[in-house]
Amino acid sequence: MSREDYLAWTNQEFDASRIFAKPEALRGIRILELCTLILGPATPDYLGEFGAEVIKVELPGAGDTMRSVTPYGTFWKNASIGQLPQNHNKYHMALDVRVSMGAEIFRRLAKRCDVVVENLRAGTMDRWGIGYEQLKEINPGIIYIALNGFGQWGGYAEGRASYDAVAQTVSGLLATTGFPGRLPLKTGVFIGDYFGAQMGATAVLAALHYRDRTGQGQFIELSQGENLMRLLDWSWIYYYLEKYNRPRTGNRDLAICPSDVFMCKDGPVALAAAREDEFKGLCQAMGKPEVAENPRFKDLETRLKDENAVALLEIIKEWAKGKTVAEVDQLGEQHGFASSPILTAKDQYESPHFRARASVFEYEDPIYGKMVEVCSPAKLSKTPARHKWANKPVGMDNEFILRKFLGLRTYQIQALAEKKIIGKWVENPPGRKPPEDWDGKAGIIF
Amino acid sequence: MEIPKITTVLPFEDFPVETDRTWVDWVHDAGDPRKNHLKAEALDDILVLDVSEGNIGALFGSSILGEFGADVIRIEPPGGDIARKFSPFGYMYKGTGLGYLMEGRNKFHITLNLKTPEGQEAFRRLAAQADVVIEAFKPGVMDEWGLSYRFLREINPRLIYASLYTYGHFGPEAGCGKPDYDICDQARSGVMAVTGEPEENGEPQAWNVPTKEGNWMGWYAGGGWTAFGILTALHYRHITGEGQMVDVAPPDAELRFCDYHIQYYHTVQQVRGLVGAYDSAVFPYTIVKTKDGFSFLAGFSDVNWEGLTNIMKDPELRAKFPTIFDRLNKANQPIIHKEIEKWSVNYTGDEILDMVQDYVLNRRGPGTVATAPMTDIKETFEDEVWWDRGVFDKGTDPYYGDVAFQCPPWKMTLTPARVKWMCRPVGGDNEYIFMKYLGIGKEKLKELEKANIV
Repeated sequence: MSREDYLAWTNQEFDASRIFAKPEALRGIRILELCTLILGPATPDYLGEFGAEVIKVELPGAGDTMRSVTPYGTFWKNASIGQLPQNHNKYHMALDVRVSMGAEIFRRLAKRCDVVVENLRAGTMDRWGIGYEQLKEINPGIIYIALNGFGQWGGYAEGRASYDAVAQTVSGLLATTGFPGRLPLKTGVFIGDYFGAQMGATAVLAALHYRDRTGQGQFIELSQGENLMRLLDWSWIYYYLEKYNRPRTGNRDLAICPSDVFMCKDGPVALAAAREDEFKGLCQAMGKPEVAENPRFKDLETRLKDENAVALLEIIKEWAKGKTVAEVDQLGEQHGFASSPILTAKDQYESPHFRARASVFEYEDPIYGKMVEVCSPAKLSKTPARHKWANKPVGMDNEFILRKFLGLRTYQIQALAEKKIIGKWVENPPGRKPPEDWDGKAGIIF
Repeated sequence: MEIPKITTVLPFEDFPVETDRTWVDWVHDAGDPRKNHLKAEALDDILVLDVSEGNIGALFGSSILGEFGADVIRIEPPGGDIARKFSPFGYMYKGTGLGYLMEGRNKFHITLNLKTPEGQEAFRRLAAQADVVIEAFKPGVMDEWGLSYRFLREINPRLIYASLYTYGHFGPEAGCGKPDYDICDQARSGVMAVTGEPEENGEPQAWNVPTKEGNWMGWYAGGGWTAFGILTALHYRHITGEGQMVDVAPPDAELRFCDYHIQYYHTVQQVRGLVGAYDSAVFPYTIVKTKDGFSFLAGFSDVNWEGLTNIMKDPELRAKFPTIFDRLNKANQPIIHKEIEKWSVNYTGDEILDMVQDYVLNRRGPGTVATAPMTDIKETFEDEVWWDRGVFDKGTDPYYGDVAFQCPPWKMTLTPARVKWMCRPVGGDNEYIFMKYLGIGKEKLKELEKANIV
């Protein structure tokens, strides 16, 4: 009774249909972004989902390189699908900051902003006259974050190209992901980029709290490879204490037992049970209550010993062979152990649960129509995250931004366009321009 | 009379002297992690109660807040959190497993039996004084004890209350009753549906299955987003004075890291399968065997592909797959991968890195190629560059002694995150915390211990 009562209350508190009836936590925070690909643009995007106003600055013409990176080269309505997940609710400005007049516009915008985000090579912004040292002169409260592969300084910071997979390769994540004796596995998603951006945004929020208290801004740097090292739980301490060089162990968790993936008749199922009641429940579900009584499996510490773990996982493996995924999952619910099918994007897209949590988020975009994307996983009862519009074509908000924040007149904006300081999309390569059936107006504010 | 010179340098603070002022010099000096302890802390006005059990994700969330300076009180049941047992092969270091040891940093560790009315009352008193509560029970457990957000907001309207659970605290599956483990968080996030070696020749092998990331990435994603949500709510509280509830499901958390997963399905109704060494958006962008291990290699755009095939001295391969569409073609990727590997196995990872750096830095031809030899845990940990960058550190913990650990990943000029101590034993801070926040002295504490309340 009590649990139902509580869930009725939480479902009401977090009712997704009321998201737009609630305020935004970061309203009034303005962010200036000079970023490409994922690590950079995702950082302000995570804050923009909570109401921060993000001005995304790209180079006129080709814009963000991610506009070319899209699954199997698929362009949808002339947009790169790869560009979508880290660009929502942003104002799209195409500005050539490499020339002095462009840099001056950037400086004037920075004066009106609370946060600057960039992911260029160390020192590039400085050379253009828009680095932290220059911007803090005109805006002492500015919080400035630089994200990249190997950091702003140090033995690997100069002259090495970095991508997400480089971060995975040098951090130990690659070496510990996959099956023994097989090729080390790249995580199938750009985890170094997205998680790096998430941690970058978290540091911006901590700095914002300090600024709320003192009025002082600061410089923050994050290397995505170093960030992945932070996340590798017990790997380093175990090496330090026992010289254990953590190998690849497939889906088996060396620190929780049982915790693994098992093949059922119709596919794989994830399963775990560390607490004694959960483990007893699992043995019950397997029809083997005696396994829980076996001294080799009597408690978690004993089960974790290598020879015991191997033996136990074998017992579960044999049992799972004769079951379907749904049967195991049902038994998990009944007996209180953890179980789950391996969800695909389709499963999540169609899941009422992910929709109700507004993690799979549907909205109507002025240019692209119905959109379904992944919204912030941090659910705030009073100030929920939201998507308002999708990524836009290159330079679509130039006029609006220059007028609203810098008070420029039409003839000034025209002169900047003629001098190619600002610009719009190019026709080719694809991924920059509006859809073919665009009416020349949709998505333009003014 | 000579005035004695006052030193501002304490033992072991031998910082390098500033030389010529380039950006790199400036930022190295201004963000040097070795000077962290001289600077202020961003969150040292915040009190956090982490009452989670058996959940490394929640521990990581409170670690972030603690690294930024918050006072974090870890509340465990008498006997200790089961997460203290999550350790490789059951290895214990001075009574605590390594997973917990790493995320016990900067926290005060106390015990409290929340199943007793006295324990609940003590928790309520702490919550009345706290800024943040983090819990990781199944939905309804804290509620049954009268300690869920709907009760605590009555006594502390400024409170930010964060929950973390695989299925979340709302949504149709929230009440399913299954516990939260990293493997299921990863399974539900979508990351496993694309991580793994695809089948070759139609004969499935044991390793042709969705595969988890080696670490507890599902839990860490959940914890990262919990800290993010709390800090977002904290800013809103600064403006309005109002607290709120933050709910994070780790699978949602890692789904936000799963590329264009959902967008790809929405726009063209396609799902990606296991990618293995291949890729759906950039190729070659791959892992290959080398003479002495494995290396990452990328040359995706036409010009970079030209660079890579120049380095390989293989213009025929270039001509065979001239456009990005040829190279992204699912059927072609295994062929290209095999051809690159035929070449790469003749060299060590470092030799390939030297060839690539020579080509790129000396502009021997068009294109930028990226490569990195894979380092394992030992090699990464022993690399002096990371120690210089402050990624790893070791120190003498008052209780655990000589330990090494990974540091917070950020460098900041004003309020950098830092590690002050590693962990504490079960109930190690009972005396201090009960005295400081509850006015309970040693004698009373002993009585509570006898009654199994602490």
